[in-house]
Amino acid sequence: MSTASEEDADDASVIRRSRQEPEAFAAVFRRHAPDIKRYVIRRLGADAAEDVVAETFLAAFRQRDRYDLSRPNARPWLYGIATNLMGRHVRAEVRQLRVLERMGTDPVMEPFTERSDERLSAGASSRALASALAALPRGHRDALLLVAWGDLSYAEAAQALGVRVGTVRSRINRARQKLRRHLGATESVIYVSEEPVHE
Amino acid sequence: MNEMTELERFRSDVPELDLTDVRAEEHRLLSAMRDVAPEHGRSTGRRVSRRGVRLRIGLAAGLGVAAAAAGVIVVNAGGEPGSPPVVHTMPVASVQVLKRAADHAARSSELHPRPGQFLVFDSRTMDTVESNSGGRQERYLDRQERKIWLPVDGDATHGVLQSRTLEPKPYPGWPVPAEARQNVGRSSRSKAADFDDRAEHLRNDYAYLSRLPADPAKMYDHLYIGLGTGPAADATAWQNVGGMLTEAYMPRAQRAALFRAAASIHGVTTVGRAVDAAGRTGVAVTLDPPGSGSREEYIFDDETYEFLGHRSVVTKAQEAGAPVGSVLTNSAQLKVSIADKPPTVN
Repeated sequence: MSTASEEDADDASVIRRSRQEPEAFAAVFRRHAPDIKRYVIRRLGADAAEDVVAETFLAAFRQRDRYDLSRPNARPWLYGIATNLMGRHVRAEVRQLRVLERMGTDPVMEPFTERSDERLSAGASSRALASALAALPRGHRDALLLVAWGDLSYAEAAQALGVRVGTVRSRINRARQKLRRHLGATESVIYVSEEPVHE
Repeated sequence: MNEMTELERFRSDVPELDLTDVRAEEHRLLSAMRDVAPEHGRSTGRRVSRRGVRLRIGLAAGLGVAAAAAGVIVVNAGGEPGSPPVVHTMPVASVQVLKRAADHAARSSELHPRPGQFLVFDSRTMDTVESNSGGRQERYLDRQERKIWLPVDGDATHGVLQSRTLEPKPYPGWPVPAEARQNVGRSSRSKAADFDDRAEHLRNDYAYLSRLPADPAKMYDHLYIGLGTGPAADATAWQNVGGMLTEAYMPRAQRAALFRAAASIHGVTTVGRAVDAAGRTGVAVTLDPPGSGSREEYIFDDETYEFLGHRSVVTKAQEAGAPVGSVLTNSAQLKVSIADKPPTVN
């Protein structure tokens, strides 16, 4: 097995090969799993992420015969599968956002912050964002976060979600308006609640 | 602050992950893969022809090459910290063609792209593709029709490339493999480049080129940034000239300075008549770097001295692995225009 050709080949050729040689699919995993896991962690937290990511790649592996080989990059496809699977956790996602909104502590960030005061110091803008994100319809949140955190283009997000580009565009526009309104509403609060920082 | 910036920061403290962070998931995938492996494909003994990775011809490849070349040069010729600066002397001998091209550059009509707009280059290219197919080596000359939209300012990743595969040609002494014909007639549209990590001095967007000196001696210095002296430096400087002509456009003052500076590169000669990839005949100026076995030519219209294209021609059969006179790469820049925005990429 030539690692050089494996590294250079685009996802479509790797997937095509994996239809005959299933092991080849491991290359798709190695390329994309770290990014996808980080994305899922940002939305659901570390605990749920392991299952979602494992299931994403198992599902992708089982569906590899249906992959559209004219798409060299599998990223939108994988993000699409992950997004579907995250749908099962939508209540947990919203609940965590609400905790952050009300308490100023972010359950998702818990494992990544060593000092509890860092967790507590979530600023007014984080709380406002959490509130806005929690209030978005699921499809709007999916589109917005695929673009903002998943680094997908609008066209790729449309592919991932199985909707038209125009739909993605209008969802994101409306989501951004909502974010802006929530952030604007807290601008004065930011200054009031600011506390001195001791390093 | 913009809401998208705020959103990007939100939970951005989740660290970037690597493969060690997805071991558990990988384990689950691998065991699922092992379960299906025996009944699938393998047992039939049929191997899919492992089609060699097609060379990605285009801007991304070009950028890769430029970056690699610069790296090599830094190792070979770059001055150690504290070493005396390299002094370049511009040779008195200069090439008539380039001088005339420079004079012409001062007269030709001028495009005035504005920030935010795109320069659009129509061209035809032929490049050598080497591939490994099921352990068999293959070589052929891939031909493409290209149209590229490049931002007037900023990096090439915001550009769009549209290309159509034309009938391939044989590499001298090699049969054209069947796979070379697979995509003939097909068009594709994609991002022009996935990355653009060229060194600052190798940028060739209009905004950057417009800021270069209009003085030939200073332009000459620019071509040699980080290169030192000697034949390898000259060859890379010559390549840099090509980078500023191919799918690039600069104001006429800089263009004239570039031609005069290029004429001063040691070893540059005129070839007389040369044919570009579209069959247009022009005069060429060329450099034959030692060891490569082929010369790199830039072709200009012999009346207007517009840049027509480039080609590389074998000069030593042994070194190049093809008969003397074979053309191994060839391009034709057919049209340069301005657009407000590139087409969308799906």
